Amino acid sequence: MKLLIIEDELILAKSINTYLASEGNICEIAADVHSAIDKLSLYEYDAIVLDIGLPDGTGLEILNYLKSSRNDGGVIIISARNALDDRLTALNLGADDYLVKPFHLAELKARIMAIYRRRNFQGQNLLDYEQITVDLDKKEVNIEGKPLVLTKKEFDMLLYFIANKDKVISHNALVDHLWRDEVIWGESFDFLYTHIKNLRKKLTDATGKDYFSSVYGIGYKFN
Amino acid sequence: MKLLSKYTLVNLFVSLGIFVIGGIIYFKAISYLSDQQLDRDLTEEYAEKVSFIDQHQRLPKPFEFDTYEAKFRDIGQYTEPIRFLDTIVSTNSGDKIISCRAIKGTVRFKGRNYEMTVTASTEATQSVVKLVSTITIALVILLFIALLVVNRIVFKSIWAPFYKLLEHLKDFSLAKSPSQPPVDPMKIVEFKELSHAIELMEERARDEYQSLKSFTENASHEMTTPVAVINSNLDNLIQDESLTKSQLEQLEGIYSASRRLSHLNQSLLLLVKIDNGLIHDLAEVDLANCVKVKIKQFGELLQDKNVKISLNLLPKTIKASNYLVDILITNLLSNAIRHNYYDGEIAIVLDETMLLIENTGKSETLDNHRIFERFQKEPSSEGTGLGLTIAKNICLSYGFKLEYQFAPPYHRFYILF
Repeated sequence: MKLLIIEDELILAKSINTYLASEGNICEIAADVHSAIDKLSLYEYDAIVLDIGLPDGTGLEILNYLKSSRNDGGVIIISARNALDDRLTALNLGADDYLVKPFHLAELKARIMAIYRRRNFQGQNLLDYEQITVDLDKKEVNIEGKPLVLTKKEFDMLLYFIANKDKVISHNALVDHLWRDEVIWGESFDFLYTHIKNLRKKLTDATGKDYFSSVYGIGYKFN
Repeated sequence: MKLLSKYTLVNLFVSLGIFVIGGIIYFKAISYLSDQQLDRDLTEEYAEKVSFIDQHQRLPKPFEFDTYEAKFRDIGQYTEPIRFLDTIVSTNSGDKIISCRAIKGTVRFKGRNYEMTVTASTEATQSVVKLVSTITIALVILLFIALLVVNRIVFKSIWAPFYKLLEHLKDFSLAKSPSQPPVDPMKIVEFKELSHAIELMEERARDEYQSLKSFTENASHEMTTPVAVINSNLDNLIQDESLTKSQLEQLEGIYSASRRLSHLNQSLLLLVKIDNGLIHDLAEVDLANCVKVKIKQFGELLQDKNVKISLNLLPKTIKASNYLVDILITNLLSNAIRHNYYDGEIAIVLDETMLLIENTGKSETLDNHRIFERFQKEPSSEGTGLGLTIAKNICLSYGFKLEYQFAPPYHRFYILF
């Protein structure tokens, strides 16, 4: 997958780059509207991570440019602003998703993967990972053809883990992803452990393999 | 006291005083003038009678002078000076006493002195005075009424711009879109100046408020990027497999700090938005449904603490922003769970007049005022200390009341619609 990260905060851009640039993904960074449009006019990208606030303009200009140049890449906005209006404007201009800063890289990756899948798969929307097959339209999971019944939270969690396979996902990132708004801040993660435990048990029982490994005190890795 | 009442009262007292003093002077003057006239008549009569006596050397008979009656009294050698006096006499029939003016003097004939009293009834003049007084009083009353009515009408129209300005000021809110203060159509200089002063004041207040608002907003936005940098670097850092346990623990500490920072930031921004009325996606919100959805979302947390929840929800809709109502219920419900103990209880009651959320928890009451203030929280609580402030401000923005009561063992938070 070829990605363009348009973000003026270089440390953030590099950090995103580090996280996303694996499994054969290629990332490029543009720090302003001018260089971003230069790059977009020369190359094709599968996905574009776009910051709204840029030193020489706004990300909305880039959205307009993409619209007029019929660029195929999916666009995910990363913005400091959480206003509904901003969100709607960006989505109306053709952005595929809108992520408010600060965010977890795991969340960004999961969303990029989702956009990429939406744009590139025709017909059946299936996601395979080893023995696991996820039907994204029907929201069903099959293990070597046998259906595995998961709760909504477990299903979401599984998708999140598959999108971030081989990466350590922090408890914080998981809680943010699963409970987003309604989470009780600063509370212990006990309720998270229960969900993980259940998912882990169901998968292990069905596949005979433990995909999860926990990283002391910080989170989990799926591989 | 209203300006009009005060003004009318002062007006009335002053005019009443002037009228009373004026009336007395008027009355005195008329009495004086009529007495003068009477005295002149009496003097003439007196002189006529004296000359009659001198001529005829006898007292006149009553019928010889048809105008004024004269009485004589033999006083021997004693003389009395001529003088005027007010007196009363009874009528011939004796059933009525009438007030009179009289002149007394001494006449002498046939070697003897007689005291002559010529009296004239003042009834006629008195009735004139009475009539004049009545007319005057009637006029005064009429004048008062006219004054009141005119004052009221004139006052209303003259002060109308003032009241309009007052209304405008009462209506003033920094969050509302600016409107021009009304201009006096009668072009009274003071009101024009007042209107201008108000306009300037509002402009200044708005400017300062705007800069404060954008400062808070910008500060919050500027904070999100560094937090995003911290978060993303942490996300990369934990991928390192050589990290030791103690390093991972420290990283977890940084994670939760950055998480709190981010939540604090979001909460502050939200408060600014609520306070400025920037969230106006008004819709009919079905509260009972909202509560049910929230409880479902909180299911795991309730289970985790084994908190029993009982609901008594009647249908109730309010006109509000879905987004804010969601936050409101989230904040109250999450508090009810967070500050609960294991195997505790939560009860939620909704009816036409209020939404009540009560929960078991600490056995002492909370400070009713402080809990709604910003950054007031228990040292043990890991929240931002903004949750209840946000809830309160959401309620305020829709004209609801959020109150707290401790009814052991329940902590009650209720919203009065």
